[in-house]
Amino acid sequence: MKRKTIYILLIVACLLISLQSICQITNTSIKGFIDVRSMYDNNKVSFGLGEQDLFITSELNDRFSFLGETVFKFDSSSFTDFSVSIERIVIKYNIQGNHNLIIGKIHTPLNYWNDTYHHGRVFFPTIDRPLLFQAEIIPLHTIGAGLQGHDFGKLRFGYDFFVGNGIGAGPVSDNDKYKSVTAAVHIKPVDNMRIGLSYYNDVISKGADVEGKIINWKVNQQLASGSFAYFGKKVELLAESTFGINRTDTTGTKHTLASYVYGGYKIKDKFIPYFRVDNLAYQNGEIYFTKNNTTALVVGMRYEINFLAVVKLEYQYTHSELNGINNKVSAQFAIGF
Amino acid sequence: MHLFARAQNETLIVISNNKGAPEELKMTELRSIMMGERQRWKDGNKIKIALMKTSTQTGISTCKKVYDMDGNDVKKFWLAKVFQGKADAPVFFNSEAELKAFVSENEGAIGIVEIHIDNPDIRVVSIDGKKEF
Repeated sequence: MKRKTIYILLIVACLLISLQSICQITNTSIKGFIDVRSMYDNNKVSFGLGEQDLFITSELNDRFSFLGETVFKFDSSSFTDFSVSIERIVIKYNIQGNHNLIIGKIHTPLNYWNDTYHHGRVFFPTIDRPLLFQAEIIPLHTIGAGLQGHDFGKLRFGYDFFVGNGIGAGPVSDNDKYKSVTAAVHIKPVDNMRIGLSYYNDVISKGADVEGKIINWKVNQQLASGSFAYFGKKVELLAESTFGINRTDTTGTKHTLASYVYGGYKIKDKFIPYFRVDNLAYQNGEIYFTKNNTTALVVGMRYEINFLAVVKLEYQYTHSELNGINNKVSAQFAIGF
Repeated sequence: MHLFARAQNETLIVISNNKGAPEELKMTELRSIMMGERQRWKDGNKIKIALMKTSTQTGISTCKKVYDMDGNDVKKFWLAKVFQGKADAPVFFNSEAELKAFVSENEGAIGIVEIHIDNPDIRVVSIDGKKEF
């Protein structure tokens, strides 16, 4: 009995020492991003607010760190017209070298854009995200746990492997027994270049609430993505494509291909003219994604005042199956603070 | 402009805490460390990067010689890297005295300065076999 008590006291002492070590916050910083914009669309000019994004990073100790990203944005259903959204809560434990264990809510590392720019509009090369985000082709967030590693060997190989609640889950618990699996690899063969491949698998249960839309069929989803990114001193090129396979018992297997290509060229120190071409192609009979074959062209100019202030002016032509032709001119002033 | 021109010709010295960094590194290794690609030393110590602010002469020179970028691009690079959760930001200093004090007090710390003054808690790390670059 005495020996047992000593063991328990030793365990408690060890836990307290570990906790004390974890809680010795050595470095915490708060930064943020915001953007304001103006738009000419449907024969009227509008001014609007973008998102206010706050992100907090904290080194808890030599191995543990925390990153939180919270967005305040317009929400017509809110009494104050704004709502708060927790976009990322990342608790990272460095296992060894560049291998990390990640727990929390992350931006699903399925493509370069989602894994790189998050909600920092000042980093976006164009005013808005590519259309494959707006069409909700890829699951933006995943809550779960996984492994992440980066910069191994001459090719600077990196990987992400993440198991999460998956599509339809709420922020505090899963809605079904199925788990999503994300596996991604990338290399950086030369400076400023990244080439990546990823795979995502999930089962979306019948009755799941996905961004307010109730799913009436059980869907087995697989997504495969490829990306090429190069942001050099003069030339910028980013091309990504996601191939989606949705299978239901009633409609069988349906394919979707969503792609975009962005290109920019720095003509002076701070001026970058750019373009982006988006294409969304759905197979007939697709019932999980909203079938809306779309092509869009964006041309614009980015003026980088400094690394914390960027002005963009762009024209977007969109031709979609459901909405026809749309022309839009937008300007954005994005800052970091 | 004058500060930038002076910075082009400035020689730099890499210093480190006695614990962590090896006595010699290749320039490619130094660059990898300064870009946040390598985050731990072989002995397991976490690498803590100490740099002079990009507005200082040594800072400008470091940006050019190590990062091959200007100061604005280095700050953008690190803001993005931290935002992505891929690395912890370097600590930037106004004076070399503050930077050296940080390096001497933190195991695993590495920094870049213009002038080295003997300090038992700091050592000079040779780059490609040279004390200066």
